Amino acid sequence: MKLSKRGLNTAAYVVFIALILAAPLVFDVFWLNRLSKYLVFGMLGAAIALSWGYAGVLNLGQGLFFGLGAYAIAMSLKLASATSLAQGSDTPIPDFMLWNAEPGAPTELCCITQGSFLWIPFQHTWFGILMGIVLPVVVALALGLIMFRKRISGVFISIITLAVVLLVRLLIVQAQPLTNGFNGLTDLGYLTVLGLEFDPYMPQTYYLIAISLALVLIGTRMLVETRSGLILQAIRDDDRRARFLGFDVPRYQAFFFCVSAAISGYAGMLYVMASEFASPTFMDLSFSITMVVWAAVGGRNSVLGACIGALLINMIEATVSETPALMEAWRVVIGLAFVFAVLFLPRGLAGLAMSLRDWLVARSAAEPRSLAEPAPAEERS
Amino acid sequence: MIDTIFIGLSLGSVLLLVALGLAITYGAMGVINMAHGEMVMIGAYTAVLTSLYLGFGLIAAMPVAFLVTALLGLAIEKLVVRRLYGRLLDTLLATWGVAILIQQAVRLSFGLAFFGITVAGLGPGLQNVSLPEWLGGTFSLAGSQISVYRSFIILVSVALAALTWGLMYRTSFGMQLRAIMRNPQMAAACGIDTARINALAFAYGSGLAGVAGVLMAGFKTVFPDMGTPMVVDGFLVVVMGGVGSLIGSILSSAILGQINGLTAAVSNDIIARAIVFAVVIAVIIWRPKGLFSYKGR
Repeated sequence: MKLSKRGLNTAAYVVFIALILAAPLVFDVFWLNRLSKYLVFGMLGAAIALSWGYAGVLNLGQGLFFGLGAYAIAMSLKLASATSLAQGSDTPIPDFMLWNAEPGAPTELCCITQGSFLWIPFQHTWFGILMGIVLPVVVALALGLIMFRKRISGVFISIITLAVVLLVRLLIVQAQPLTNGFNGLTDLGYLTVLGLEFDPYMPQTYYLIAISLALVLIGTRMLVETRSGLILQAIRDDDRRARFLGFDVPRYQAFFFCVSAAISGYAGMLYVMASEFASPTFMDLSFSITMVVWAAVGGRNSVLGACIGALLINMIEATVSETPALMEAWRVVIGLAFVFAVLFLPRGLAGLAMSLRDWLVARSAAEPRSLAEPAPAEERS
Repeated sequence: MIDTIFIGLSLGSVLLLVALGLAITYGAMGVINMAHGEMVMIGAYTAVLTSLYLGFGLIAAMPVAFLVTALLGLAIEKLVVRRLYGRLLDTLLATWGVAILIQQAVRLSFGLAFFGITVAGLGPGLQNVSLPEWLGGTFSLAGSQISVYRSFIILVSVALAALTWGLMYRTSFGMQLRAIMRNPQMAAACGIDTARINALAFAYGSGLAGVAGVLMAGFKTVFPDMGTPMVVDGFLVVVMGGVGSLIGSILSSAILGQINGLTAAVSNDIIARAIVFAVVIAVIIWRPKGLFSYKGR
């Protein structure tokens, strides 16, 4: 049988998706919950690959979109939690607002603390879910249009996005009466959609996340193969030429920036469902750079590779973090892995897998009768 | 009022020391050195360790810190950065890995922690350096109480900025470095040993960060993660001032230091930092080349 690059790529996606869907057969509830968080990180890896690998936009503030999505749904879930309902008011009130309220303030969402009225629409869970996507996309659109219209590129985008995420993080920490500051939103209720309750330790939550990841991967992959996706890559390679050819460069860049933001916001929502909290640490500089690390190790030019990079790194980290001494050593390994990946493996693990794929294709072309064998599980593009 | 301006000036001068090194490495070599903040951290730890084991004061620690961080910078340049010239964003990522390694080296006492050995002055905890008597306290100027140590920081920074200016504009090394900043290929074609100049410039920039670390140890707690915010601030200064412009870095660190100090005086530190970020974002969007960029090719 003759192998084609395309066939092997598809096979890699099929195998990966089959594996994550089959995981509940192997893992217990505790590990399944952990795995679901790592799948969310995998989704972030894919979002980074889309903006970094395909658009050439290294966003050092991807955590902003993740955090906005997380906070949006966490606000809804906070209002749905048992403690919020039991504050002696007709409408739910988050407990921290009572702690932060001025003495004598009415126990109503409209005016208990300054700005608390912003929480009112989040009483409807669908509003929180909607905002979890809309908010990141609106921010990304505004930011993207400003940056790309001004033809800001390369490292300046990285610096701006970095400054923006740190700025928003400070604002969230500062707005303690509205966001519970450093402590973030904890003690959340479960998301209930159409009578189905998403308990983070139940398989349905895992399946929701796994299927979401599968759809995001397939969707992203198909998106970059459309005409717009090709134009985007052309812009990455030579934006001036694309501009001279008459393409509206900022529009393409802003669109894909928004798609990446939407994926990250969605990932933020899923992460809140799996971990039951939202906190300003989502917008830490180190978290945003860590996402880039995952993509760099997995392969920045490959959506699936970046996703697998995130999964692998987090799985290993979870295994070694059982012992504190190993945990510290693990950070050394991460530092080293990062330096070496950049120095010697700029295309990441996906680059290795692609070389293997090309070799297999070449071999099957040379020997028409040789059997097709899929790439090993860890190394796919 | 004068004391507020003074606080702003001293904030700006520490920023300047961090930014000067970055301005040189980024401007000349196109390297984004995320490990630069770790040089500040190592400098601060040098102050801690020399006072602990050798009884050095802050002043004596400065040349030691300069030497230690300059050598470390040289090693980083030779081992990692050298392979990445021309790949700007990759340098950012690789040096981030280096930064993690340096942090862990301090946190684990260079690996001795694995053998159960703890070294006083290293490890994950917080460290402090006590100021010598003559640097503590305040003096009064036009009716305001001014901290002696803050004026000392300003003096040291001004001296080092002047030294850097002299190095850049009055020596043959500086001339070669400026030629590389303008056009590395042309400079190489004219016979400048770019590899050597780059390595030296990288070491010098790291050394400045080490001195900044010693100064910071005098008024802040010292801990392994202290460098990360510094490198971010340093970059904001460099980018706002204009890449490759020494005067731009000096002015923008003064501006940002004042904004930080004045806002912190009327509100709090968090708001002050937020406003600094907002100002930098606005400036980069308004003039992506920075406030004082020269017309390059």
